[in-house]
Amino acid sequence: MRSTVEANVPVPVLKDAVKPGQPADKEPAETQDRIGPSREEAETAEYAAEVRNLRMKFPGTPDLLFRDLSLNIRRGEKVLLLGPSGCGKSTLLQVLGGVIPQVTEVPLKAERLHVPDSAGLVFQDPDTQFCMPYADEELAFVLENLAVPAEDMRPRIGQALREVGLDLPDPHVPIGSLSQGMKQRLALASVLLLEPDVLLLDEPSALLDPEGRRTIWDAVRRVAGERTVIIVEHRIEEVLDWVDRVVLFRDDGSILADGQAAEVFARCRARMREYGIWHPEAWSEAYGEPAGEAALAQPAAYRAGGVCEPEEAAAPAAGPARERSAAAPARPAADSAAARPLLRLENFRVLRGGKSVCAVRSAAVLPGDLIALTGPNGAGKSSLLLGLMGLLAHEGSCEYAGSRPSGRRAMREAAAKHAAFVFQNPEFQFVTNRVLDEVAFTLRSEAASALNASQSGAFARWFPRRRLRPDAGEEALIATQASACLARFGLGGYAERHPYLLSLGQKRRLSVASAIVSDKPLVLLDEPTFGQDARNAFAILDLCERLRASGHAVLMITHEMEIAERLATQVWKIEDGALISAESTGRSHTAGLRLSKEEPL
Amino acid sequence: MRSFFVPTRINWLHRANPAVKLPLFILLFGVTVLTHRIDASFYLACVFLALLFLASGYPLWKTALLASGFALAFASASLTMILFGKGSEVWWSLGPISISKESFYRGLHLGFRSIAFGCQGLLFVLTTSSTGLFYALMQRLKLSPKYAYSFMASLRLMPMALDELRIRRDALSVRGAGKGASASLLRLPELYALPLLAQSIRRAQRTAVAMEVKRFDAGRRRTYYYSSPITRNDGAAVLVLSGAAGAALLLAHLLPLFALGDMRMNP
Repeated sequence: MRSTVEANVPVPVLKDAVKPGQPADKEPAETQDRIGPSREEAETAEYAAEVRNLRMKFPGTPDLLFRDLSLNIRRGEKVLLLGPSGCGKSTLLQVLGGVIPQVTEVPLKAERLHVPDSAGLVFQDPDTQFCMPYADEELAFVLENLAVPAEDMRPRIGQALREVGLDLPDPHVPIGSLSQGMKQRLALASVLLLEPDVLLLDEPSALLDPEGRRTIWDAVRRVAGERTVIIVEHRIEEVLDWVDRVVLFRDDGSILADGQAAEVFARCRARMREYGIWHPEAWSEAYGEPAGEAALAQPAAYRAGGVCEPEEAAAPAAGPARERSAAAPARPAADSAAARPLLRLENFRVLRGGKSVCAVRSAAVLPGDLIALTGPNGAGKSSLLLGLMGLLAHEGSCEYAGSRPSGRRAMREAAAKHAAFVFQNPEFQFVTNRVLDEVAFTLRSEAASALNASQSGAFARWFPRRRLRPDAGEEALIATQASACLARFGLGGYAERHPYLLSLGQKRRLSVASAIVSDKPLVLLDEPTFGQDARNAFAILDLCERLRASGHAVLMITHEMEIAERLATQVWKIEDGALISAESTGRSHTAGLRLSKEEPL
Repeated sequence: MRSFFVPTRINWLHRANPAVKLPLFILLFGVTVLTHRIDASFYLACVFLALLFLASGYPLWKTALLASGFALAFASASLTMILFGKGSEVWWSLGPISISKESFYRGLHLGFRSIAFGCQGLLFVLTTSSTGLFYALMQRLKLSPKYAYSFMASLRLMPMALDELRIRRDALSVRGAGKGASASLLRLPELYALPLLAQSIRRAQRTAVAMEVKRFDAGRRRTYYYSSPITRNDGAAVLVLSGAAGAALLLAHLLPLFALGDMRMNP
């Protein structure tokens, strides 16, 4: 059908592939397939970008990514692309930015593919967009690519930095010393130097804290001007009032709705919830108003989406917190030992390289607590958790359920007995090649260490006769327990899969599942909702809330103020390497537990 | 960590063009390797050790800390030769160990050369930034920008990979994996390599895409942010460094401490 395809098309497989970057023309239908019109012609075109009947296929996947997708974007338009994770929004953005297929080769076919000549693309991850060690060198790298004379570089670098509101007194600062939000603004500044007609933003704020999010969107608004802006984003509260048009995609990459923001919202609210998009009312829809515990119901809307249909069998309670703890005081800690803290810290200091990185004068974690650990980046939140797990050295006293370990080794053993830790990147926690083994591993090593504990004495420690293993009966028990746990976390169908092949949300759930399967009373989480879409985030929070209500204690690092306001029983603020305040919120951990004690009367 | 390797004083050697410095130091390496007289190697070691302390631009304690590694290099290079080397004039022997006059001086000679070698290498590394080196190589020695920028980008990725190694170690220890029985020693590469490589490959790929999106094209003409001129500092570097090597050789001739012949023959 196409006659004048260029010979050096970089795309394999599909024979009528278009080479984008060559602006398509605006001629009548019979000749519209011809490629390579003059530049002027394209510039007068009404559309900044246009795809018609786009089809793509990633090698190794059975299905087409897009099935005859058509989308026009007018000059100067501010467009927001929304959709569930994995629907292809980011891929489409890369097609529109000319990355696919010029840089990344993906077989694609389109009746017409017109992409802007000069596009600036900002990516999600602040750490992987730079190749030079210093901020000014990174910006200069762009100018070098454009062959700008060296003497013009400094003024242009200064100007670009001012435009994005990154006022560095001396631009020669190491990029590593900038905050994540500043790095994203630096990335924006570097694409501005390309003087793009079109700005393409691929979830630029997904990995930022609230402050970083605010500043990057401020910067985008400031620099957008007449430019066309195409945004892919899961968190939309900051951009919603600004975009002209919202395009909502379905799971399969087809367009569900396309129109003005308010209109699309009114029409597809339920869908957006289902797709896990962070819209402004997401929190109140999930948890009601943050008035107090009365309003604290289950995030029913999100559970109904079928994300995490957990533990109907395992946890006897699925209703609101009151009923739950009333109906089943799941563990003894919930009633008799309620007053005894799971963890008590006195003059506790975590040391890194001999220096105190996080100091806690006095704090306690009670069963039924959900503690939000907040504070700026680098204040020492993660160090505190690592210190509690005995992974960093510490000074002062730390009491786990009454026992006071001394020394790092004893601390590590005590922590292993009482606390489960969930790291931020779930992949780092995986140790096996099968999802089921991942959960069973925890149970198995626990069983093994219980057995080995019976072997005592110095001789046995240095010359163990044989490493004891759980016997067959126990092995079977472990397998059933593990599959039950997977089912609770909505991973029942993936037991045989490699953990790395799960989706982002599934990986996260698996890492939580493998940490808490052995029922430790204290759960420590490092930013569990960070970078997650709303569906996954609420699934995790739902889980934490269930754990809390059944008498566990949950301690999580978070930047999400909504968690602190709506779910937490205590908010710990950490600044400059010290716990500066530990305040109880309206929700008290004793409320639910006290009820459970009163109920029998 | 990063700030540890920032020199406190910038001198002529820092300002000298790396494209001049690199061949110069390679030449010095050659001279050191081809030195066969113990007097010459002794003076080379002394002269370059002094130069390292004077010209690296780092405080004394830092230089001493870095140079303390040479003691180990000296010991390992010389001791083996001293204790096990062959020789006719045996001073002392016990079982397989025999110290002879020849082996003793050959051992010292080896040790001196390893110190000289180490000092030269450290002096180059401490006075040259990676960015400066690659810019100079691109502009002066026609190194392809493709290699230069990928090296610089990979240097940036290195600390991130180190951080992840630490996180992985913590995560494994939390989960109780990677300790205990010897079978797990065999699993270590798998336990570490898979997640770290997966993450690094993803990151490298993203960085590469980001670089191309910024219109990096190795084939095209480009300008350079840092110019890499040949200045008087280069003249100074050539004079001082070749002068140092010359002085060492001259001293060996005029003031021989050991007065022994070629170490490859019978000294």
